Amino acid sequence: MAEFQARDKLAFLLSLVPWLMEHDGATVAQAAEHFGVSPQQIRDAVQLIAVSGVPGDTDAYQHGDLFDINWDAFEERDEIVLTNLVAIDDSPRFSAREATALIAGLQYLSSLPENAGSVTLARLTAKLSRGASAQPAQVGVEEVAGGATLALIRDAAARGVQLELDYLDSAGHRERRRVDPLRVESFDDDWYLRGWCHLREAVRTFRLDRISNAVITEAPIEHRVGEVRLPDRLFETSPEDLEVTIEVAPAAMPLLVDYIPDGATSTEVGGRIRTTLRVSHFHGLKRLIASMPGVATVVAPPSARAAVAEWAAAGAARYR
Amino acid sequence: MAASSSGPRVPVEERLFSLVLALLATEAGLTKNEILSTVQGYRQRYKAGGDNANLERQFERDKDDIRELGVPLETVDAPGDAGNNQTLRYRIPRGAYELPHDISFTSDETTLLNLAAMVWREGSLSGESRRALLKLRSLGVVAEEPVLGYAPRVRLRDAAFDPLNTALERHLVVRFPYLKPGEVAAREREVVPLALVQYQGRWHLSAEETAFGTQVAGTRKMFLLRRIVGAVTAGAVAPAPIGDQAALALADLEEIWERCIAEVEVSCDTDAATRLANRRGTEELSVAPDGSVRTLRLHYVDGAILADELAGFGPEVLVLSPPELRSAVIERLERTERDHG
Repeated sequence: MAEFQARDKLAFLLSLVPWLMEHDGATVAQAAEHFGVSPQQIRDAVQLIAVSGVPGDTDAYQHGDLFDINWDAFEERDEIVLTNLVAIDDSPRFSAREATALIAGLQYLSSLPENAGSVTLARLTAKLSRGASAQPAQVGVEEVAGGATLALIRDAAARGVQLELDYLDSAGHRERRRVDPLRVESFDDDWYLRGWCHLREAVRTFRLDRISNAVITEAPIEHRVGEVRLPDRLFETSPEDLEVTIEVAPAAMPLLVDYIPDGATSTEVGGRIRTTLRVSHFHGLKRLIASMPGVATVVAPPSARAAVAEWAAAGAARYR
Repeated sequence: MAASSSGPRVPVEERLFSLVLALLATEAGLTKNEILSTVQGYRQRYKAGGDNANLERQFERDKDDIRELGVPLETVDAPGDAGNNQTLRYRIPRGAYELPHDISFTSDETTLLNLAAMVWREGSLSGESRRALLKLRSLGVVAEEPVLGYAPRVRLRDAAFDPLNTALERHLVVRFPYLKPGEVAAREREVVPLALVQYQGRWHLSAEETAFGTQVAGTRKMFLLRRIVGAVTAGAVAPAPIGDQAALALADLEEIWERCIAEVEVSCDTDAATRLANRRGTEELSVAPDGSVRTLRLHYVDGAILADELAGFGPEVLVLSPPELRSAVIERLERTERDHG
C-alpha cells in the first residue's frame, strides 16, 4: 500500500486494534500480509498502540489506562499479544464517502461474472449503507456492457484453456487468434483483454468490442499470470513507432495520455498544447484525430497530416 | 513555536488516536478544556491559565479530520446551559462508532469489495477506497483470489467532480459556467446537485435548476461534467434531496438512450461494423444482398458525442438518420479535412 496520510494512519490504527484482538499472537508478517502493508508499518503501529490509552481517572495516563503488549514476544519473536485493552471493542463504521466509493465501484462491476447479478449488489449496498456512519452520497455508475464476452473469458481462465477469437485491429486486418487470458482491464466503458497471443507469440491487448466469434478451446494455456510480465502500459510500444506532433485543446489532454510517451515535452502554442504522440501506424491516429474534430490537430509530419485529411475527406465524400 | 518547548512533539496520528480513545471511553463527555489539558498530544502544549488559541484551532481541525473518517463525534450541551462553548461536552457514542454486529462479509463478498475499491485509482475516491479497505480488513475476512486478474478503472479526470461531490454531500447550491454543444460562449448555471452518475463512460450531474435563488422542484436537468468549463463555486444550503437520486438519474439517462435512435450504414469487415455491432442495444436492420453493407439502428444519449464517435470511423459509416446527426457528422469530417489540408 502506498504512502499513508495522517487520516490513513488513524484509520489503520482503529482497524488494526480489533483485528489484533481477534488474532491473538499473530506475527508481524501475518498482519502485514493481511492489511497489505509493510512489516515496518505494522511494527510502528503496534509500538504506538502499546503506549496509547485514555487519560483515566487521574488524567495522568496511568499504567492500567494504556494498551499493553507482551514486549518479549514482540521483540524476540515478532508476535503481537495484547495484554491490556482500552476503549476499543470493535471495528469502526465506514464513513459515508467510503461507503459511496465502494457502492459506486460495485455498480460499475455489477455485470462482471464474479458479481452474481443484482441480488448480490443490492445485498452489499444495503450492508454498506447500514454500516456507514452517515447516508452515502448519491454517486452512481452505469453497469458494464459486454458481459457475455467477459463471462467467456473468465470461463476460459477458470478452466485454464485457450480462447479462440476473431480480432479486427485498427488497421482493418481480421485474424483468428488463440489467446491465453491473463487479465481484464478497463478504463470507464472501454474494456480490454490482455493475454498471450499465440499468433504473435507475445503479450497483446485486445479491445473487447473488436472481438467477435469467441469460443473456448480444449487446448490448455501455456502462459499464466505471474509467469508473464504485463507491461504497465496497455499498448506495447516498439522502437519502430512513429512520432507525431499534435496540438490539442488543454481540456482534451486527458483523453490522449495513453498515447503520450514518458518524457514527452509539451509547450503551449496560442492556448493549445503542442505535444508528441507515439503510434505504431497512422490507422489508429487518423481514427483518433477524426473523433476529436476541432479539438486535436496533427501538425507534423506531413504524411500523418495527409493520412488524417484523406480519412476525413473519404468520410465526407460519402455524403456528396 | 514557543508552545513546543514542553516535551517532545507528539506525532499527528498519535494525537488523533488518543483523542478518539479518550472520547470513546467517556460516557458523560469531555469539555474542550478537559481535552486540551489532559489528552495526549494536546496536554504537552497546553498552558494552564494561558492563551491556548492555537491549540483550540488545532482541536477544531482534528475534529473535522476525525469526522471525515466516519467517526461520529458528537456534542452534548450541559443541562440548563445550552449554547455555552465552555460547558459543551464532546463524546463518541459507541453504538454509532462500531460497525453493527450483524454486519459481516463473506469471502466472496470481500473479493468483490476489493475489486470495487480498485476501480478508484485516481482522484479523491481512491483515498476513500483505501481507508474503506482497511476497515474491511479489520473484520478479518480473507478474500478469495479471483481466477482471472482484473484491473478495472473509472477515471475521475473532470476537475468539477470533487467540488460537486462535496456540494452534494453538504447539500449546497452550486454555480458553474456550462458550454452547451453548438453554443459559442459558456453560460453561468445555478443548480442544486442531486446525484453524480457515470453513464457510458462519462460523468453526469443530475441537478435541479434554481430561479431567483430558490430550487424549482421538478426541473431535473442533466449536465455533462466535461462541459463545465470553469470553476464550481458552492453557495447556500439547500434541502436534502429525497429518494435514490443516483438511480433516478441513471433511469433518466436510460430513458433518453431508449428514445434517441440513429440509423447508420456500415461497410462490412470494418472497425465500425464490429464495434458498432458490439455496442449495447444495436439492432441490425438489413444486409445488402452482396453482404457488403449493413444497416444498423443505434441508441444514444448525446448527439454531439455520437457525432464525434461516428466521425472517427471516417468512410466506414454513413449516417442515414436523424438529419441533425447526419449534418453534424458531415460538419465534423469537413472540419477535420480543412484543419489538415
